[in-house]
This record gives sequence, structure tokens and C-alpha cells, in this order.
Amino acid sequence: MMSTNTSAPLVSIRGLHKAYSPTVQVIKGIDLDMHAGDRLVVIGPSGGGKSTLLRVLMGLETIDKGSIAFDGQPYIQADEARGKTSIDTKVRNSIGMVFQNYTLFPHLTIVENLILAPCKSRGEKESVAKDRALTFLTRFGLRDKATVYPSQLSGGQKQRVAIARALMLDPKLMLFDEVTSALDPELVAEVEQVIQQLALQNLSMMIVTHDMWFAKNIASRVLFCAGGTIVEDGPPEQVMGAPREERTREFLSRVFHIGA
Amino acid sequence: MTYTFDFMAVRHGLGVLFDGLLVTLELTVAANVIGLTFGFGLALLVMHRWAVLRWPASLFVEFFRCTPAIIQIVWFFYCVPMLFDVYLDAMTMGILALACNLTAFNAEAYRAAIQAVPRDYRDAGIALGLNGWQRIRYIVLPTAFRAALPVLVSNGIGIFQQTALVAIVALQDLMYMGKSLATESYRPIETFTVVALIYFAVSFPVSQLASWFEHRRDRLAR
Amino acid sequence: MDYNFAFVLRYQDALLVGLKMTVLVSLASIAIGCLWGFVLGMARGSSLRWARALATVYIEFFRGTPVIVQLFWVFFCLPLLLGIELSNMASGIVALSLYMGAISAESFRAALKTISPDQHNACVALGLSRYAEIRYVLMPQAILRAIPTLLSNCVSLFKESALVSAVGMADLMFVGQNISNATARPVEVLTVVALIYFVIAFPLTRGVTVLERKVLKGLAV
Ligand SMILES: Nc1ncnc2c1ncn2[C@@H]1O[C@H](COP(=O)(O)OP(=O)(O)OP(=O)(O)O)[C@@H](O)[C@H]1O
Ligand SMILES: [Mg+2]
Repeated sequence: MMSTNTSAPLVSIRGLHKAYSPTVQVIKGIDLDMHAGDRLVVIGPSGGGKSTLLRVLMGLETIDKGSIAFDGQPYIQADEARGKTSIDTKVRNSIGMVFQNYTLFPHLTIVENLILAPCKSRGEKESVAKDRALTFLTRFGLRDKATVYPSQLSGGQKQRVAIARALMLDPKLMLFDEVTSALDPELVAEVEQVIQQLALQNLSMMIVTHDMWFAKNIASRVLFCAGGTIVEDGPPEQVMGAPREERTREFLSRVFHIGA
Repeated sequence: MTYTFDFMAVRHGLGVLFDGLLVTLELTVAANVIGLTFGFGLALLVMHRWAVLRWPASLFVEFFRCTPAIIQIVWFFYCVPMLFDVYLDAMTMGILALACNLTAFNAEAYRAAIQAVPRDYRDAGIALGLNGWQRIRYIVLPTAFRAALPVLVSNGIGIFQQTALVAIVALQDLMYMGKSLATESYRPIETFTVVALIYFAVSFPVSQLASWFEHRRDRLAR
Repeated sequence: MDYNFAFVLRYQDALLVGLKMTVLVSLASIAIGCLWGFVLGMARGSSLRWARALATVYIEFFRGTPVIVQLFWVFFCLPLLLGIELSNMASGIVALSLYMGAISAESFRAALKTISPDQHNACVALGLSRYAEIRYVLMPQAILRAIPTLLSNCVSLFKESALVSAVGMADLMFVGQNISNATARPVEVLTVVALIYFVIAFPLTRGVTVLERKVLKGLAV
């Protein structure tokens, strides 16, 4: 999977603004470049717009101002005059996302969940897709769950399936929105290990998490977002170890106190 | 489409239709009064400890719920006089037939609502030192009645619509008047359209009311 | 007066023919009505305002008027309006399908509403087309969740189908009434006819309860 333009950043966000309604301004001007192989972890207080940023990147939300380019190609553009957002769905297909609440399809078995998109929207042959699916499941320790339904899995298993399902489409960028928040504490590690595995393969990813230890371990770069803007941006040792901004420091002292 | 509408043709018949509507409403109200009270009693029988009471009651409920209303009405009109040797006027027969049907449906609504009262409520009643009767009177019944209300209302509207069936056995209700007016005036489209609109004009507001109740109940439950 | 239920057996062939007609009309109206109901249910939950309004008016109207009035309307008025001859059977099926569409639309809409919006998000994230989303994700779940209520809709329709006798279709009800008039033995004949309806409808209503429990358990994620 060669980048079309090796010098261009993988994701390039310019002047992004997003409001759910005139009174709910959620993203108030974000500029961000992310490079291939980056593991960007986004931390910040609740309601700071982290999920919204990921949803915008996934093409799930309209935006009010700004533009996003992906892999050197225009991806999302706000047309301020007409109040519309144009989203290039072809580009969108090279981004994958995993949500907090699994979002598996309950009426399909695990394997069927994995092969639905490759077969139905990419026209892959079912037998080929199935082989790939089984490879993923084996890798994530879920080989024996292939033919059961999601309701028979634990939360940790469901979330690993959800990750495998997204990977089936060979995304160039993976978005993770608090993927361990709905899990019982003892199940968090198995999901985080899977994400660590992906990190070893240099997959580009953007991760929103409230788990500060995980953030520190996995990140190649940390963003601290609050009030709809990026307050601090840098390597994990700096942002989490020696924050320059007062707001970052205050946030970290609070979470580490509660966490400890 | 070659047909030319002439709703004026129906205008002269409006008085007749109105008379029919009064009969329809009379049937509806009477059947509902009976159905709401007897339905509750029947629900208690359906849940009774004693099988001798439970079985016949369940049979009654299931039979009326699982057969067409039209056959119940026809059966009533033809068979009750023969079986019991009583000859009642058509209105009374119509009311009784519809009331039996509604009683069965309402009994089911009451039963479902009573059995759906969460165990926690009864447990809370015990914890508060209420005795068996008090728990039923102050906790189970009010909760159950509120839960059953939307279904009871929609059953009531259902019966309003079923009254149209008694026209078939010659009670002069809205449907019957509509039918004869249509034949007399050679204007079936206008007549049946107006008849349909009258039925709709009565049942729609009531069903909106029912869903409003349901909404409010669901909001309170949260 | 003494009753002789055995004599009804002599008419079993005629009753069977009537029953066949009843079942045929019911099945045809159920099949057509369910498809129509799914479309209406989607329209009712759609974001297009005009589609929502049209579907709502249709559904409320058909649920707010007696089926017998609808039947008479279709039977007497549709041929005049369209300028075509409709057989008794065709008008019966048309009327009952229109009604089934309205009641099943409510079941589908309720089922669609219980599918969380996250399923849609997941479909977008997986790059599924709108068609694939409806066909492989929304429709199967909507149908599964709607099955219990759809089945009760089917029972209702089966019972309402007795009304086609009023417009002269030779269904079970019609045949029963004819025999009862001809033999002057309404008690036996009408009771047997009622029992036949009961024997078919009752197991179906039991099935609804069982399915409700099964389906809801299977889809709990
Ligand atoms: N669909 C929506 N409609 C209206 N307001 C919304 C919607 N989604 C989110 N919001 C609001 O936007 C703000 C930002 O939400 P967002 O979910 O992006 O925050 P977050 O940083 O992910 O918070 P958390 O850590 O709690 O997940 C919040 O105030 C939220 O109430
Ligand atoms: Mg969030």
C-alpha cells in the first residue's frame, strides 16, 4: 500500500469548525497534520469534542468550516455558502473506525460480520474473504467463535471482533473511540493488547482514551483537546510528563489522582 | 379517470348518516362500559389460583380473541334466541355481542398489565409493611391500570370500528345507513368516502389521545 | 330443542372449499401487505418530510376506519374510479392488502426504531452503500424484531378476512352462512365455523408469545 504522495501528511486538517446547533459549538478551529505511522492519542476532558473530531474524520458528521485532506487527496470540504459538506466516499473507504459500544450486527455470525463489507461493497469472493476473516480471528484468539452470534461473546471478545471487522478492509488509518470504556476492568487488557499488536505493524491510528497508562504506552504523539481546540500537542513524554500548558497540567493531576 | 364527483349528493343524506352515527356511538359507549368493568373481573378470574375458575375464563378470552368479530355477531343474533329462548331487541343483542368481544380483549390487557408490575414494587410494599390487600390496592392496581390504559383505549376504538359489523345483521347504524344511502343515491364513492371520514374523525383523535398517554407513561417510567 | 352437530359433517366439502378461499385470500393479502408495509414503515421513519407525511396519513386513515368500510369502498368505488372490472376476489385481496400494509407498517416502524443509530454508523465506517445497509443490515434486523407483532397482524388479518363474505366472496364465513340459512340450523353450523377459525388462529397467538421471548433473547447484543 504505497502512499500516493510520500511527502504529504496522511491527514491534514485545516480550519475545522463544527457545531451541532448554533449554541453547541463543539470544534472551534482545529489545524492538524498527521503522518503515516503516527499513533496519535487524543486526551482531554469530557465534552471537549474528542469523539466529534473522530466522527468528522470518519465522515459521519457534517462540518461548518474548513477542509480535510487524506493521503494528499481532498477528502472533506465545507461549502460555507450553501451550508453543505462534501465527503469523498472513495477516500472514506480507506479509513476504519471502532466504536465504544462494539456495533456488531446482531443478526449475523462473527464470520458473517467480518465478510459483509468486503463481499457486499468491494465484491470480494466469499471464500477468499472467509479465509482472511479466519486468519484475523486466529490472530486475535477468536478462531473458535467464528460461527457464533455476537450475543454469545463477552465485551472484550466483541470489541476484538469489531477491530478485526474494520481491519478486513485494509484501512490506511484506524480510529478508536474509547474502545475499552464499556468493558469490565479485567477485559480491558485483551483489547489493548490487540491494538498494541497493530502498533507493531506501523498502522496509523488515532485513539481517544481515558486510560492514561495505555495512552502513554501506545502513543507516538499526544493531543490534549479541551473546549473544542487543541491545547497542547507533542510527544507523550512532553505532554503527559512535562506539560507546558496550565490546563493540561490541571487535567492530568485530576485524572491521575482519581485513577490512583 | 372518468368519474365525476358529486359530494352534494351525499349532503341530503347527512341527516340519516348522523342518526346512524348516534346508534354507532350508543353501541360503542355501552360496549365499553361493560367491557371495562367485566374485563377487569374476567382478568382476575384468568389469574385465579383455582383451575375451575381459571380454565373457563381463559377459554372465553381466547375464543373471543381468536375468532372473527363478524361471526361472533352473526352467531349472537341467530343462536342466542334459539339456545336460550330469549328474544331481545337488535340494539341489546348488538351491545351484548360487542361487549363480549371487548370484555375478552380488555381482560387480556388488564392481565398483561397486572403481571407486568415489577416484583420490586411488591417487595417495596412488603418492606413498607403493607399487607396483601393494601399492596394490591395501593401499588399493583394503580400501576397496572396506568400501564393498561393505552391498550384499553385502543381496544375501545377497535370496538367503535367493529360496530360497523352489526349493520350486516340489520342494526341501523352508521354503516347500515351508508349502505342504503349508497344504493338509493347511486353514489357509492361519495357515500362510502364520507362514511369512512366520519369513522376516522371519531377514532383518530381518541387514538392520538391514547398515544399521548403512552408517551407520558413512558416518560414517567424513566 | 336438540342439537345435532354430526350433520355438519355432510357439508364438509363445501366448508373445505370455503376454508381454502379464506386461507388463500389471507395468505395473498399477507404477502402483498407485508411488502407494502415495509415500504410504508421505512417512509414513516424517513428523513424526507413529504414521505413521512404521506405514510402517516395513509396509516392513520386505514387504522382509523372499519375494515368493512374499506372493503365496501374498494369493492364499489375502485372499479368506478379506475374504470376497470375487478373480480370479487381481486377487490377482496386489494382491500385486505391495503389494510395489512397499514398495520404491518407500524410493526416495521417500531422494529426499525429499536435498531440503534450505531448500526448506521458502523455501516458508514465499513463503507457499505445505502442499498447494502438496508438490504443486509436494517431489513433482516427489522424483520426479525417485527416477527412477533407481524404474526399478530397476520392473525388479525385472517380474522378480518371473514368480512369478504359481506361482498359476496365464497369464503368460509360465506359458505357457513349459506349452509346455516339453507338448513335452518345456525347453532351447529355457525359454531363449527367459529371453531374452525379458532383452531387456526389460537396456535398462532401462542406462537407469538414464544417467538417474542426467543427473538428478543437472540438479538440482545
Ligand atoms: N449528536 C449531538 N447533538 C448535539 N450535541 C452533541 C451531539 N453529540 C455530541 N454533542 C455535544 O458536543 C459536545 C462534545 O461531544 P463529544 O462527544 O465530542 O465529547 P468527548 O470529548 O468525546 O467527550 P467524552 O469524553 O465524554 O466522550 C458535548 O457537549 C456533547 O453534549
Ligand atoms: Mg466521546
